[in-house]
Amino acid sequence: MLTLRKPMAFLKKDFLMEVSYRFSFVLQFASIFFSVVMFYFVAKLLGEAPSVQKSLSEYGGNYFSFVLIGIAFSNFLSVGLGSFSTNIRSEQMIGTLEAMLVTPTTLSNIVLSSSQWSFAFTSLRVGIYLLIGGLFFGVSFTGAAVLPALLALVLTVVAFSSLGIISASFIMIFKRGDPIAFAITTSSTLLGGVYYPISILPGWLQSLSYLFPITYSLRAIRLSLLQGAGFGEVGGDLLALVLFSCITLPISLVCFRFAVARAKRDGSLAHY
Amino acid sequence: MTDVVLETHNLTKEFIRRKGLSSPRNPFDKTVFTAVKGVELTVQRGEVFGLLGPNGAGKTTLTKMLCTLLLPSAGSAKVCGYDLARQQGKVKSKIALISSEERSFYWRLNGRQNLDFFAALHGIPKKIARQRIEEVLEIVDMTEAASRRFQEYSTGMKQRMGLARGLLADPEIFFMDEPTKGLDPIATWQFHDFIRNRLAEAGKTVIVATHHLAEAEQICDRVGIMYAGEMRASGPVKELTGDSTLSDFFRDLVEQTMVERTGN
Repeated sequence: MLTLRKPMAFLKKDFLMEVSYRFSFVLQFASIFFSVVMFYFVAKLLGEAPSVQKSLSEYGGNYFSFVLIGIAFSNFLSVGLGSFSTNIRSEQMIGTLEAMLVTPTTLSNIVLSSSQWSFAFTSLRVGIYLLIGGLFFGVSFTGAAVLPALLALVLTVVAFSSLGIISASFIMIFKRGDPIAFAITTSSTLLGGVYYPISILPGWLQSLSYLFPITYSLRAIRLSLLQGAGFGEVGGDLLALVLFSCITLPISLVCFRFAVARAKRDGSLAHY
Repeated sequence: MTDVVLETHNLTKEFIRRKGLSSPRNPFDKTVFTAVKGVELTVQRGEVFGLLGPNGAGKTTLTKMLCTLLLPSAGSAKVCGYDLARQQGKVKSKIALISSEERSFYWRLNGRQNLDFFAALHGIPKKIARQRIEEVLEIVDMTEAASRRFQEYSTGMKQRMGLARGLLADPEIFFMDEPTKGLDPIATWQFHDFIRNRLAEAGKTVIVATHHLAEAEQICDRVGIMYAGEMRASGPVKELTGDSTLSDFFRDLVEQTMVERTGN
C-alpha cells in the first residue's frame, strides 16, 4: 500500500488544487459541450455528401462520430506530450519543487506522479465527450469493441508519454520554448487524422502521417468503437504503437536522466 | 563521546556558464565560477552550527549540496554516515531543509493538507501521518490555524508551517537557510528558543545558514565563517572571538581576506 501512497498523495493534492478554482473547473466541462455542439453543426453542414461518405466509409460514413472520437482522444496527445513538462515547470515556478526534492522521493516519481491528475482528468473529459455524443447527438456505441479500444488507449498513453518525457527533459534544461511538443502537436493534428481522415491527404503526406503514433491510435480506437473491430482487425495499429513505445520509451528515460544530472550539476533544477 | 553526523572533505562546487549569445564570436566559451571551494567541515550530533558569511559567500550553495539539491563538482561528504553523492535517498531520509522561502507550499491548500502531502513524500504511512501531523502542528502551535488556507497565514505562521514540515519525518539534521528572514522580533525569539530548547535538547543537529551575526552568537555552539566560497574560520564562538564580539571578528576576517585577495 505504501508504494501507492505517494502517487495517491499527488492525485489528492492536484484534485484539491483543481477544485479550489471552482469556476474554472466547471467552465472546462462547459467548454466540452460547446465544442461538441460546434462539430455537430459542422457535421450537419457536410451532411450526407458522397465525398464525405466515401472518405469515411471505413468508419461507418458519419462525420460527427468520426470527429467526436478524434477531438476526444486527441486530448490524450496534448496531455501526454504536455503534462510532464507543464507540471514540472509549474512546480518550479510556484517554488515547491525543491521542497519535494529534499524528501526521499525521486524526481522521476515526482514527474510521473504529478501527471496522474492530468491523465485522470483527461479520461473524465473524454468520457464526457462520448457521453454527450451518445446521449444528445445520436452517436451509437452499441457494437463497440471495448477491450481493443482500451488497449489502444493504454498504448496511446505510453507512446505519447514517452514523447512527453523527452519534452520534459528539454524543459528541465532550457526552461522554455520546447520545440518537441510544438512540432509533434502541430504535425499530429495536421497529419494524424483528428479532424479528417488521412485518406484525403496527398500521398506523400499520408506516408508522413505514419510516423506519428496518433495516426495508429485514432484508427484503432475509431474502428473498435464505431465498427466493433476486434484485436485481429486493429492488431497492425496496436503493434505499431507497441513498436513506437519500445523505441521512444528507453530514449525518453535516457534523455530524462541526462537532463536531471545536468540540471543538478548546473544548479538549475528549480530555476524557471 | 562525540558522534559525527556531517563531514565534508574538499567539498567544491563550480558553476560553468557558457557565454552563448552574449558573446556571438565565441558562444561556446565558458567561464567557471567557484561558489564553494574545498570546504572541510565536521559537525557533531546535537550541535547547532552556524554557517556565516555575507551574501554570495556560498552558504546557500553549500547547504543545497548537503541537502542533495546540487551535485558537488569535487570532494566528498557524509551525512549521517551516508555518502552524499551515492546514497542520496538515504541522506534525504535523515534531513530536513527549512528555508525562508514561503512559496514552497501550496497556497490554495490548507496547512493540514500541505503537511499530509509532504508526509506522503516522506513515505510516512497514512495512519501514522495523521497522528504525526497533529503532533507537529501542536509543537509549532498551529493546530487551530491548520484548517485555513496557507495563503491566509502571516509570515510568522508560514515559517512555523515550514518548521512543522521539517519535523514531520523526525530527521536527524535540520538545515535552515536564513530561517528568520522576514520575522518580527518576537517570532524570531520564539524561533531561536525552539532551536535551542526543543531541537538541540532532543539531540537534533541544526545547521543554520545566516548573515545575522547576533542570531548566530545567540543560538550556535560553533560557527563557520565563509567568504567567497571558502571556509575562512570555524570553531566555538567564544574560542574564535576571544574578548571581542563576533561582529568585530567577522569584520576583521572579511577585511583580512579582501587584503589577501586584492593585495592591498
